[in-house]
Amino acid sequence: MYIKNITIKNYRNYHDLTLNFQNKINVIIGENAQGKTNLMEAIYVLAMAKSHRTTKDKELIRWDQSFAKVEGHLENRHGPLQMEVVFSHKGKKVKLNHLEKKRLSDYIGSCNIVMFAPEDLNLVKGSPQVRRRFLDMEMGQIHSIYLYHLSQYYKIMKQRNQWLKDVQQKKKKQDTTMLNVMTDQLIHSACHIIEKRFAFINKLQRWAEPIHREISRGLETLKVKYIPSINVSEEMDLSTLKIILQDEFQRLQERELHRGTTLIGPHRDDLQFLVNDRDIHTFGSQGQQRTTALSIKLAEIELIYEKVGEYPILLLDDVLSELDDYRQSHLLSTIQGKVQTFVTTTSVEGIEHSTLREAKIYHVENGKIKVNK
Amino acid sequence: MQYPQPIAKLIDGFMRLPGIGPKTAARLAFYVLDMKEDDVLDFAKALVNAKRQLSYCSNCHHITDTDPCRICDDSSRDQSILCVVQESKDVMAMEKMKEYTGQYHVLHGAISPVDGIGPEDIYIPDLLKRLQNDVIQEVIIATNPNIEGEATAMYISRLIKPTGIKVTRIAHGLPVGGDLEYADEVTLSKAIEGRREL
Repeated sequence: MYIKNITIKNYRNYHDLTLNFQNKINVIIGENAQGKTNLMEAIYVLAMAKSHRTTKDKELIRWDQSFAKVEGHLENRHGPLQMEVVFSHKGKKVKLNHLEKKRLSDYIGSCNIVMFAPEDLNLVKGSPQVRRRFLDMEMGQIHSIYLYHLSQYYKIMKQRNQWLKDVQQKKKKQDTTMLNVMTDQLIHSACHIIEKRFAFINKLQRWAEPIHREISRGLETLKVKYIPSINVSEEMDLSTLKIILQDEFQRLQERELHRGTTLIGPHRDDLQFLVNDRDIHTFGSQGQQRTTALSIKLAEIELIYEKVGEYPILLLDDVLSELDDYRQSHLLSTIQGKVQTFVTTTSVEGIEHSTLREAKIYHVENGKIKVNK
Repeated sequence: MQYPQPIAKLIDGFMRLPGIGPKTAARLAFYVLDMKEDDVLDFAKALVNAKRQLSYCSNCHHITDTDPCRICDDSSRDQSILCVVQESKDVMAMEKMKEYTGQYHVLHGAISPVDGIGPEDIYIPDLLKRLQNDVIQEVIIATNPNIEGEATAMYISRLIKPTGIKVTRIAHGLPVGGDLEYADEVTLSKAIEGRREL
């Protein structure tokens, strides 16, 4: 799939902008603080209906304006598709082929995107939250039912936490039936999430291992491991998972009542990256952590291809310069000719690759764009 | 320029209704000014009467102008079956179907700790009291198929189960007359979950 054009209105530092893209590689060049990342973010927002940088949609609206709009036309295996996201102070609206979609899960997934930004280097060394976010964003776009269970899970947890807190503060009296009901609801969604996370990470591992071996010139074996907050294993089916979770919640009931919050579940899960069987969160070098992040992103591209039948769009925000020559050229050769790619950088000097010769170049200056081919 | 006080007050009144913002409120208010005085009086009377003459049935908590309400009072209806719904509006929806002839119980809400609503804050204790008379043999729980409605349904069923009364939950899944291909993934997965043997 590829994005043919994009129109951005009142978005961050952009007033009104329409750009046509080419199917292969698009390079966005500009000094710092001119709007390169904002443009990348806009493409990401078009696909995911939310930003990768902030959870506050209102920040996307240009100062002093009442709404922001990102619209784009894309071409995928089913033909052309119009996509549109509008943010206003009342909330956001999404449209596919000019028809409004009430459910975000009906919208997300129409355009698959893989983004590789400096923040992604945190995937390995950052907090578990970063890794969960990665899981949720990536799984969400290829698995709409996952997205549904995830949002149900967080809604139920919010209700359950409120109730546990009310009981802890003696605003409501302890009612075992009530607690059991909410726990069972939570477990129902949790089991689906855990099962799907197992399957996804398994697939990711299968793709990432050979890619990583190649990037590391055969020296490193990468393993990706799912670390659920509850001691469960991959072979368990939904009903076994359910029983184990029930036992575990039963065991923790007193502590949860005392603490006034939900202590275990998918919201406490984590991922582990092992290189040659060593956890690189603690033992890895900067370079290893960077290579791992790159392998994972490239694995994701393949995984989406396997699942969707079509390559996603790749956004490389300021990361090309972070990679050494070998990794740069490995990355560019991998995507060459099959993945529509957007690259931002402060200059193209020093990046020697045949891919860049066929690139369409965009110069950004203070929210305005000049194109030269 | 500011609105003269009478119309400002009227606009303010309309704005208190759900789904009506300042623009719609102003439009409605100006429309009222153009209406015939008799129609306005009728409208005002209807508003006041609805509030004064209607109350909630002491038995099932449905809105009514008599107590007990017409449904509770109707001896031709099946006394052994009881349908639990969240709102009075839901009773209306069920009655439109004309297939159900049992009793109702209106909870006036669903359990939602985030909104400060626990089991005691809706008419669940009343429901349990009603079930003590041994006449009711089946309780159908028809709360909404969302998290709060589902929690309420599960909670009620757990309290009733030990008494031996049959508890059922309305099905959810595909709409009748719809095409399978137009159903979204979530609804379809629910429909698969709730499949039954033929």
